Amino acid sequence: MKVLGQSRRRFGEQERFMLLLITPAALLMALFQVLPIAIGANASFRDWALNNPKKTWVGLSHYIDVITDPAFLQVVLPNTFLFMAVSVAGALAIGLCLALVLNRGFRGQKLVQTMLLLPLMVAPVIAAIMMRWMFNDQFGIVNVVLEAIGIEGQPWMAQRWSAFGVILLTDIWLWTPWFMLLLLAGLQSLPKEPFEAAAIDGTTSWRVFRYLTLPMLRPVIVVCVVIRSIDAFRTFDIVWTLTGGGPARSTELFSLYAYVHAFLNLDFGKGSAAAIVGAVIILVVGLLLYRLMDRVMKV
Amino acid sequence: MGMVKQPVFAEIAPAARRAFFALAVFAVCLLFIFPVLWLILTSLRPVSGVYYVHRGLEFTLGNFAEVLRDERIVHAFVNSGLIATLATVLSLMVTVSSGYMLSRFRGPIARTWFGTIYVFRCVPYISWVLPLYFVTQSWGIYDTYLGLLLPHIAVHICFFSWLMKGFFDGIDPSMEYAALIDGCTRWGAFLRVALPSAIPAISALAVLCWLFTWNEFLFALILTGQKTPVITVVMAQFVSEMGLQWNLMSATAVMALLPAFVLTLFGQKYVIRGLKI
Amino acid sequence: MKWFKTSIIKTWVVACAAGISLTAGAAMAQDKELRIGYQPNPIQDASIAMMEKWGAKNGVKITKIPNSYGVYVEKMTASLTSNSDQYDVIWHNDDWGQLWAHLLEPTDDIESLKYADKWGMAGIIFNNAQGQNTVVPMGQTFGVFYYRTDLVSESELPRTLDDLVKISKKLQAEGKVKFGYVGGMAMNHTWFTWFWSMWSNNCDVLLPVFERANAKLAANNWKSALEEPCMRQAAEFWWDAINTHKISPRGMPAYDRNEANAVFMAGDAAFTVGDSVYWATFNDPAKSKVAGKVNITFFPLGPNRNEPMAWNDIWGWAIPKSVPAERKALAKRMLSDMMLDEEGQRELWKRTGAPPPNKELWDKIAKDDVFMQQLKKFNLDVTNKVRSAYYFEKWPGVHKAFSDAVIKAVTGSREDIPKALAAGASLVTNAAK
Repeated sequence: MKVLGQSRRRFGEQERFMLLLITPAALLMALFQVLPIAIGANASFRDWALNNPKKTWVGLSHYIDVITDPAFLQVVLPNTFLFMAVSVAGALAIGLCLALVLNRGFRGQKLVQTMLLLPLMVAPVIAAIMMRWMFNDQFGIVNVVLEAIGIEGQPWMAQRWSAFGVILLTDIWLWTPWFMLLLLAGLQSLPKEPFEAAAIDGTTSWRVFRYLTLPMLRPVIVVCVVIRSIDAFRTFDIVWTLTGGGPARSTELFSLYAYVHAFLNLDFGKGSAAAIVGAVIILVVGLLLYRLMDRVMKV
Repeated sequence: MGMVKQPVFAEIAPAARRAFFALAVFAVCLLFIFPVLWLILTSLRPVSGVYYVHRGLEFTLGNFAEVLRDERIVHAFVNSGLIATLATVLSLMVTVSSGYMLSRFRGPIARTWFGTIYVFRCVPYISWVLPLYFVTQSWGIYDTYLGLLLPHIAVHICFFSWLMKGFFDGIDPSMEYAALIDGCTRWGAFLRVALPSAIPAISALAVLCWLFTWNEFLFALILTGQKTPVITVVMAQFVSEMGLQWNLMSATAVMALLPAFVLTLFGQKYVIRGLKI
Repeated sequence: MKWFKTSIIKTWVVACAAGISLTAGAAMAQDKELRIGYQPNPIQDASIAMMEKWGAKNGVKITKIPNSYGVYVEKMTASLTSNSDQYDVIWHNDDWGQLWAHLLEPTDDIESLKYADKWGMAGIIFNNAQGQNTVVPMGQTFGVFYYRTDLVSESELPRTLDDLVKISKKLQAEGKVKFGYVGGMAMNHTWFTWFWSMWSNNCDVLLPVFERANAKLAANNWKSALEEPCMRQAAEFWWDAINTHKISPRGMPAYDRNEANAVFMAGDAAFTVGDSVYWATFNDPAKSKVAGKVNITFFPLGPNRNEPMAWNDIWGWAIPKSVPAERKALAKRMLSDMMLDEEGQRELWKRTGAPPPNKELWDKIAKDDVFMQQLKKFNLDVTNKVRSAYYFEKWPGVHKAFSDAVIKAVTGSREDIPKALAAGASLVTNAAK
């Protein structure tokens, strides 16, 4: 990557230009993201019940409550990491496969592509409600179909791992098109020559994929995975709709934990502290993931 | 080796493989569209059949008729369209330049900006939707278009700046050098040289942005009152303490699906061509 | 390209203009206006219809400001604490009675409140620290026990939980119905299985049983009843209902009221507990496959109790403290007049099946209305009623801890029930402190 201008002067015309370019974005962010986040962060150090905000300083006590809560450490965090890993890996794998297939081009490809993008067009909350009804043990279509072919239906949402599976399925279904779209765009922008050369050499398609396609897709994949991991870590609405963290907190994720404290128990201080603990965790994990993926995929 | 068997195999193989391929594609598509199909089917069932969709064959447009009777619904569709479109245009305008900066420059300013974007992307909405409500309220823009629009733009800044940087990384900057040497200003090089080559990318992100905003729930619920109903808020109002009116909710969701579908169908061309990171 | 740029400029201009005009519009004040913050629902809609009628007669503009249920408490609490002048009258509910009491205008000076039912407006729910009431009722809501008249005759109705199992199994064995009982069990739908079965067995969330005075609960160190034998009986009852007797669906621990009602309305269950206002829905042929075959009765009782159990709550309206005095007076006049509006309250009853706020109308309506007679018999006139929630600020957290504990018990193995309940007991107590 070349860089426009290498001047090392401290504050010249170039710096002014750089600042101007980000001013509108920075201003909007400062007003509508940084400021609210700062208010939330401030609340996390205070006795801030939503219905009775005394706002007295309590120091780190909310943070200590959160990081010493056995439920947070033993249930919520493992669940969240498991969810993040499986959901991102699943959507990436399926999205990549679909992108590779679509990249070959075939008759009806356009129609197929549109259909595969449908999950992006439904509001996630609605999709989650639909999924919940589909996996209901009585009227859900999944059990109806299973029973029609002689397999015993399951009480999907009433057991920990099947409920977790439904959450994962819903999330992967929602986000696969996103991966597919970005990876397909990445694939289509790759230069043609190396692939033609490989075809002449008679390289197997697996080797082409492993040693040509994958390394060249690296930047796209790394950015997508990191962005998606951060978002998956914070997933709230579909999980809240599907299971509410149940049965009995067994599918509770970190954002549900923060939500329950902040809005169900109306303890906004503690909820904010939990949110910030989570933010710090994903911040670090995201950076590590970025480094790790960048290194692994460079090989 | 295998010279005897080959001809037979070779005759069957391509046809069989094509059939297998078509079947696999069909199966995958079915899996992907099934929940949406089921939603559409649900919305066409009378109230007595919205849960047991598979039981019975009565279908009706009554749910749609009932939703459309609410005078707020048209208003909500218009508002949602307006907000989604404005948010798309405006957030792209601000993130194009921010992404361009991230892509073309190095140094402390670029590093700080990228760090800021990254850090604030990590904070969950839970901790700041409510402060956002306080903020919009104290500035007197709660329940106005502006109060709904600006946060929607702000929320896209991190993600889109990052992606936009990726787009510009893929565009060769030598044209911009040439323009600069020819006496073009930096703004000129950005607006007249870099920007046109990024138009496909911008159109692509536009589709994604539009869909995200159109389907956005949380901000809409917190930041709208009575004057700016949007479609997701209307959907949410079919939920009450006494349960939800799934027939009306699904019908509204299907209606909301239509504009999104049309947009994706026509926008897709740009999405694929444009999202060349 | 050129199109692109001009369109951007145009959009900017439109956006700015729209923004400015709307902020300006919002700031303009109406002189005689009352703004109602509510959550769309048949009961509230009917109540607001009365307000609009009153407004038309008295020259007051009624502005409806709907809020979504999912964020109602959060937003309204935020609005109340920030003293923003957004609403003159808001939807109020027993669940939030103690959360908001200090933020609401006392309503003791509303004269027609003397017609309201005393039980629903009890001081422990709605009084502020100074002992002043803060609510005006809009209607009564509660859960009732529904049964299918085509499957069970009045003489065979289950009087005990044991009867409920026996009758259900008999109906299932005869192939008349798929399940005996269905009801919501997941968090916030606790009333439809856990709470009624627990209260029917003289059990409760906290000890002493049925105590609601916060001072006494605190004096007892917020001890949970989860480890009491009566609670173990209730948990084992549901475990057996689902796994041993199979009179309830296996997925029930995750059911909300929508799912339970759907199963009941499809004709797949003989009994359910649901909101009383679902009477009309259950009996509407357009909505339910069991229309005309649904009636209500007493809750079956557990082994520890032998007199009928019932609960009822009010939904109401309240006035934020921050509202200017003259609009407070106007709002009070409106709410007072509504309690005297017989026609409007009859309409509310007809549309929703919620007993209207003016108690004197109950007997009048019962004269020629079978359902009101039933509600009076099986609920409103029951002596020794139970309070259907607790009234301290931490109750939502206690409710969730309780719900998590009992759902864990019912989804685990039967031997582990005492262990799950014991583990939950300390969490419930901690949540209350």
